[in-house]
Amino acid sequence: MRRLGDLEAEIMDRLWRWGRPATVREIVNDINRMRPVAYTTVMTVADILHRKGLLRREKAGRAWLYEPERSREEYTAALMQDALGNTEDRQAALQRFVEHMSPEDVSALAAALRAMGRVPGSAEEPGAPS
Amino acid sequence: MTELLGYSGGLLVPGHHVLPPLTVALVAGVLLPRALARSHWAHRTPRLALTVWTLLGLSLITSVSLAALQVPLPTASSHHLSRFTEACIVSGGADCGPLLPNGPAGVDTRVWAALVAAAAVPAAFAVAFARELLSARRLRLRHAELLRLVGSRRPELRATVLEHDTPAVYCLPGRASQVVVSSGALEVLTGQQVTAVLEHERAHIAGRHHLLVAAAGAFGALFRGLPLARLAHTEVALLLEMAADDRALRRCSRDALATALYAVASGQAPHMAFAAGGPSAVLRMRRILTPQDTYSPTLRTVFVALSAAAALTPLVLACCSVPGITG
Repeated sequence: MRRLGDLEAEIMDRLWRWGRPATVREIVNDINRMRPVAYTTVMTVADILHRKGLLRREKAGRAWLYEPERSREEYTAALMQDALGNTEDRQAALQRFVEHMSPEDVSALAAALRAMGRVPGSAEEPGAPS
Repeated sequence: MTELLGYSGGLLVPGHHVLPPLTVALVAGVLLPRALARSHWAHRTPRLALTVWTLLGLSLITSVSLAALQVPLPTASSHHLSRFTEACIVSGGADCGPLLPNGPAGVDTRVWAALVAAAAVPAAFAVAFARELLSARRLRLRHAELLRLVGSRRPELRATVLEHDTPAVYCLPGRASQVVVSSGALEVLTGQQVTAVLEHERAHIAGRHHLLVAAAGAFGALFRGLPLARLAHTEVALLLEMAADDRALRRCSRDALATALYAVASGQAPHMAFAAGGPSAVLRMRRILTPQDTYSPTLRTVFVALSAAAALTPLVLACCSVPGITG
């Protein structure tokens, strides 16, 4: 059995892709094309997402219409802010490959690379697989 | 040892036991950290240097705790346990004499006060440490929750990919640890560079580096203003990066790691309004590109011996001067 977290991601993913409010029934039908999932399970998870503030909903007749509170890009930007921001509390929570630097510091880095006989831009040189 | 502490020569100044732990605190909290932050060998052997920072931290906590223990004590009671310990050692444990000469009821209230004061120091550190760990964990859980919704797992990279143009590489340590890389990073990095940065992040996770970061943070909160706390905060972070670089270099070339460092840093720079960690990245870069020959080990040995001594001395002092009991 899959974890509820995976189902959360599947529900959010569909609502973001459709870009319009949808009912639990629509979501269940779409997931059912890939694998069987119970209506009540999806309903429960949608309710959890609503309580977490990730989905907003409004009554349409007898069913709820669900819609993401924010776009996928907004959440991604928030995560990147966590990852690149320099606040103290983030330092203990995430460990970055390199702290972000000012353009002057990056020039110093390039100078250090050149001083060692390396070419700073070698990563973007043609022929380098990306 | 007891002669050195000044009670054999008839020099029974009340509170004279406070001086030795305070001296150790000064050495471990001010003198050694300054020397360590300036030393050249630390960056060559980051893991050893991290051990020394940890020893200094432990030694500061124990010596401050011992000093707190001595302050409220009457001098006479300071000496009972030292006599008790001596008697035990001399007689090989056969004849130690009474631990509580006046029975439990004879224990002075000031002794209890002293014990409470002594316990308060490590307890305060434990609380600060736990607080650091918990707040970091809360942040990570929230981050991981959103990441699960918008990130995509890439089994072949053993990482989560975040769709964003700015290059970023980081990890979420702890339980349910994972490495995260932005699509922007995958775009600017070559295959070998990607291996290099992912190995670097996995080294953080495998080494449980977040625990030391939290310990340094707790130390900074508790002993604010002390050189040890201030320097440990920045140095430990840098040394952990260097340790992770070293581990990554087992699986990738120096070139790949160094150029990846530059590619990620230069890709991020235009996107951010303010900046920190610049100089430390240059230090890392030079280090990555210069093969590490073993530096003259003399100074290093002296240093490790000193800090080990600083860490052990409070314990020796404790044996010689922990208050037993009025007696």
